[in-house]
Formats: sequence, C-alpha cells, structure tokens
Amino acid sequence: MTGSGLCLTLTVILYLAGAALLAANLLLRRPLLLTIGRIAGIGGALCHFAAIGLRCMELHRAPFTSPAESLSLLAWSLAIAFLITEAFWKLSVAGPFALGLSFLLVLLGAALGGHHAPGANVADHHEELLASNVISLHITAIIASIAAFVLAFCCAAFYLIEHRILKSKNGLKWLDRLPSLRLIESTAFTLVSIGFPLLTLGILAGLTPAVRGGLPEGWLTDPKTLLAFMVWLIYGVYLIARLVLNWTPVRTAGILLAGLPLCLLLFLIPSNAHRFG
Amino acid sequence: MPLTVVGLSHSTGAPVEMRERLAFTSSGALQRALAYFKDALRNEAECVLISTCNRTEWFVSSALEISSDSLIEILLSARGEGNLDDLRPYLNERRGHKAAEHLFRVASGLDSMILGETDVARQVKEAYATATEAGLCGPNLNSLFHEALRVAKRIRTELDLGRGAFSVGHAAADVARNIFGAGSGRTVLLLGAGDMSETTARHLTSFGVSSILVANRTYDRAIQLAESLNGRAIHYDRFPEFLATADIVISSTSSPHPIVTRVMVENVLKKRRRRDPLFLIDIAVPRDIESSVGELDDVYLYDIDDLQQLIESDLAERRRRAVHAETMIHEEARAYTARQKSREAATPILNSLRSKQRAIFASELTRLQKRLPHLSPEDWKAIEAFATAVENKTLHSPTVKIKEYAAGDAEDSAMKIAAARELFGLDNEEVKPSDEIPASMQAIGERQ
Repeated sequence: MTGSGLCLTLTVILYLAGAALLAANLLLRRPLLLTIGRIAGIGGALCHFAAIGLRCMELHRAPFTSPAESLSLLAWSLAIAFLITEAFWKLSVAGPFALGLSFLLVLLGAALGGHHAPGANVADHHEELLASNVISLHITAIIASIAAFVLAFCCAAFYLIEHRILKSKNGLKWLDRLPSLRLIESTAFTLVSIGFPLLTLGILAGLTPAVRGGLPEGWLTDPKTLLAFMVWLIYGVYLIARLVLNWTPVRTAGILLAGLPLCLLLFLIPSNAHRFG
Repeated sequence: MPLTVVGLSHSTGAPVEMRERLAFTSSGALQRALAYFKDALRNEAECVLISTCNRTEWFVSSALEISSDSLIEILLSARGEGNLDDLRPYLNERRGHKAAEHLFRVASGLDSMILGETDVARQVKEAYATATEAGLCGPNLNSLFHEALRVAKRIRTELDLGRGAFSVGHAAADVARNIFGAGSGRTVLLLGAGDMSETTARHLTSFGVSSILVANRTYDRAIQLAESLNGRAIHYDRFPEFLATADIVISSTSSPHPIVTRVMVENVLKKRRRRDPLFLIDIAVPRDIESSVGELDDVYLYDIDDLQQLIESDLAERRRRAVHAETMIHEEARAYTARQKSREAATPILNSLRSKQRAIFASELTRLQKRLPHLSPEDWKAIEAFATAVENKTLHSPTVKIKEYAAGDAEDSAMKIAAARELFGLDNEEVKPSDEIPASMQAIGERQ
C-alpha cells in the first residue's frame, strides 16, 4: 500500500468515527462524544490532506484527473467546510451529514477506481491543461463552492425540520438538541455567500482557456458547462431572494434544497470537455 | 464518627405551613440557630443546617452517642417559637450511609419538588459555607459536603438533569431560544399585565431580550409592570401598531374573544421589514389569538396547552435520567461510606504505628547526640532529615496494606488490623501522631 493509500484508509476510518460520534452526541448529548467526534473529524481531514498531498507528489501534478480523485477532493472540501462551520458557529448537528457524506464520497471514489498510477500516460494536451494554474483554480474553486452548497443544503434541511417541529409541536423533546433557527439560517446564508463567489471565480477561470481557444469544440453546450451556469443562477436567485426580495427563511431554504441535486449532477455528469485523464 | 440527619421536607409530607414554621431562611436566624447548636452540643459535634423553602434538615456528625430524639429536641428548640409538637409527625431521621446518600440526592436535585432543579446545589453549598464560618464543620462534614457537591456536579454534567422547562415561562423562553438564539435585539410585547404574563416576561428577560412593551386595559397597571420589567407602557388600543416591531408577543388578557386576528397578523407580516419569525405566546383562557394565525409562515403560535406539553415532555425526560442518577448516587454513597469506614478503621493504628516509629527515632537520636557532640546543627538537621525519610519509606507499604485491610469486610478487617497491631507491637490505645515527638523532629515533620 502506498503512503497516500494508507492515509486514505485512515481518513475513511476517522470520517466514519467522527460521523458516528457526532450522531451519538446528537441523540445522547454527551460532551465527551462531541469532543472525540470533533477530534476524529479534524484527524480525518488532516489524514485526507496528507493523502491528497502524497498523491500530488506521486503523480507530479494536481490530483483531479479521475472521478476518484475529484470525489476525494470534494470529500476533503466538505470536511473542511464543516470543521470551519463548527469552529465558528458550533453547528455540530451538521457533523453526521458532512462527515458521513465525506466518508461515502471517498468510499465511492475507491469503488469507482480510476486512480491513475504514477507515471501513467496522460495525453499531452491534458498534461498541459493540468499544469495550468488557471485550470487548477477552476477545478478547486468549483469543488470548494459545491462543498459550501452541500453544507448549506444540510443547514436548510435542519431549518425545515426544526421549523416543522416548532409548527406541529410534535417532537418538542428534540428541540434542545438543535441550534436556533436564526443560527442555522445565517450559517446557510454565510456558506452561500462564500460558495457563490467561489463558483463565479471557478466559472471565470474555466472560461479563460475557452476564450483562448484551448478547449474542444462544443464546450459551451457541454452538459457540465450548462449545469454550472444553472447552479450559478439558482444560488444567485437565493442571494437576491434573501437580500433584496426579503423572502422568508422557509422559502429560501426551499431554494437551497433544490440546489443540491443540481450540484451533485454538476459534479457527477460525464462530460467530454471536462475530462483530464 | 456517626452521621445523622434530622428534619422535615416536602418529601416527608410536610405541607408549606409546617415547613415555614421550622424555616431558618434569613441569615440572622440561621446564624442564631448554629450558635445555639454549638452550645447545645458542647462543641463536640460537627453540624450543617440546610434550610430552604422546601426543607429544613440538620446534618450532625459526632463521636458522642446522641439519640435522634435529642437531636430533634435541639432542632425544635433552636426555632424557639411556640409549641412545635405538631411538627413531629413530619420529622424524619436517617443515619450513617442513608444520611450520606440523602445529602447526595438533595444536592443533586433528586429530592427537590421540581425534579432536577440545580439551584439546590447552591443552597447546599451556602449552608455548608455558613456552618464552616461558624466553626461547626470538621473533617467528617468537610469530606461529606465536598463529596456531595462533587456528585451533584457529576450528575449535572453527565446526565444534564437540570435541562428542560420547569414552568410555562421557562418553556416559553426555551422555545424563544430555539427560534431566535440569543435574546439581544429582540422586542417583547405583553398584552395584559396579569401574573402569568409577568412571570413569562421575567423568564424572557433572563433570556436577554432588549426591550419590553406592556399594553393593558388599565394603563396604570401597564406602567407599574413596565417599570418593574424595565420596559415601556403603551396604550392598549394602540397595540396593533406595535405588533410589527415585536418579535415575541405574550398575551394573557381576560378578553372573552380573540384580540389578535389572522388578518391583523397578516398585515403585520407585510409591514415587517425584517425576515425574522414572529413568536406568539397565548397563555389566556379563553384564547386571545386566533388559532389560524399559527398556520402563517414564520409565525410560531404557542398556547398554554402547547407549553404544558413541552414541560411534561421535559419532565418525562428528566424522570428517565433520574433513574440513572439514582443508581449513580447509590454507588457514590456506597463508595463514600467504604472510604469513610476505611479511614476510621485505619487512622488509629496508623497513628500508633507512626508515633511508635517516631519515638524510636527520637530516642536513638538523643543517644546519638550524646555520643557525637562535635556535630554541627547542620549535620543534625541532615541526620534528622535522613531519619524521617527512612521512616516514611519504611512505613509506606504497611500504611497501604492497612488501608486495604480497613476497606475490606468488617470481621476480616478487624482480625487483620488486630494481627497488624500484634505484629508491630502496638498497644490498643490510639496515640496522636504528635505525641512524644521532640521539637526537632516535629519541625522536620512540618517541613515534610
């Protein structure tokens, strides 16, 4: 097993442990579970960072040429986004979802395979693209924005669950386990406020080689490109609804819920213009 | 030393009119009672008096054989007002392990009228501090009360027994916390200035709301309540205008029909520039707010039954946790009693052993001083330090072993301790550790 493989195995274990401990804390409210869950999450993110770094050193290029590598990067971004959210806003309820999803994404990547062995042939054209900082920026910014949107989806889901409990008065015993509606809503807004400029930056960075003619014909009608614009549009609508139209949090949470399938589709849909391997 | 607790509480069935007759709730009354106990027990007992609105309990630890009846007499005469004989059926006594366990339950809120309330730990701490100041606490009650407060903290931390709503006001503040997080920047509008709205508003004040508006049919009463809550009174007929500025509305008027209608709230929501939800608390019967208002988006409407449901759900949860807490307390009390027993059984023999050892060293040192008169004071200090170090190291293993024997079952422990006495040639009289020790050795002992 290579160094990156070993780190990735540790990552999977720590993400799973973190998700399980934070879920147990949500049910049992034991401070010790929360502390150990946080430590597992931080440990998982550090191992994951080491795995990605070692992979870079093994390949001598950015590690996102295969679905496995991209999924791994998304999983790491999601874990980091959660840990930052938890550090600033104490939103540990999102932990089981964020770390659980990170665990599944790494596992899915491993199942899909497609890791390029060090030294494997990558087309010259793609080598050139991957060596470009603009393309690296394009990919990392878009992946980071998707991580922020996924976490914003989680916040929106919690908002609607808590809203439903408060409205229906069923399951009131769960209330003291959940953060306030205001905190959840403002965290979701902050995440989108960070994710949206990142997505914009990622799209602009992707347009640069296209404008220079470095991309194959038909990139504009490529499903990934079209979906990226749709995702940009939907989160743009969210920001306008939140900041200008003064929509109620329940309605804006609906937009965030609708955004997630598009984000996942954007990430997973096959595309000729976005193949680097 | 045997521990006894005598007293009455709501759990001994004493109604409030009985509890208040034996209450020592003012600090003056408490201090007078403690001074009285000190005289009555002729400084030969340690004691702490816990007196709250729910209980008056007197914890006494004494080497003297004092009957519970005598203790009850002293407690009643400390109150010193009128004939208190009718309190006797409500008085209770517990001894030894049961008394320690009872204190653990009291400090943890398990014996409280409101199960799991945390304020009682503070009251126990204060009672202990007052008794300590009065010079009534010694090693036995010090260790008992420290242990009780530690156990209470453990239960609070591990089981979170004090969590949840205890009253309508508390439940309303809990829901408000779930909606708004912190209360700062929030405005509360009180419709009606009755006792219920006042209590609920006070809970919300502790939640940290920024401003309180009070509307009441009698304007003077609105002013009075607003002043006591640091708020502002408004004329009752103008309250619909102020609905738009409020985040939380508490309504408890005696109006026979709803005063807050759906149309009114819909208009308010249109006027509000903020996106924050509106929390309506209707504690009036008949209700003041139309129930269909609760169907509006971002409006949370809670009536008295909803809040009661929340209190009951929290109480059920606390009862479930209390079962674990009882087990924990039982184990803690058993461990505490075992430690006490071990300490009580081991202390006399350990004191004798150490005294004997010191006496031997002291006599040998005196002989040595005669044989080596030329040694300097520094040399003697070094020799004495050496002697103490040898003593400590020699006695370490027997000390540990004797403590182990003392912690075992009574018969076996007594037999082993008797064997140890025989082995070390100790008589049966307890010797204080400082006996027969020359001044130079004592100085070394103090330095150690």
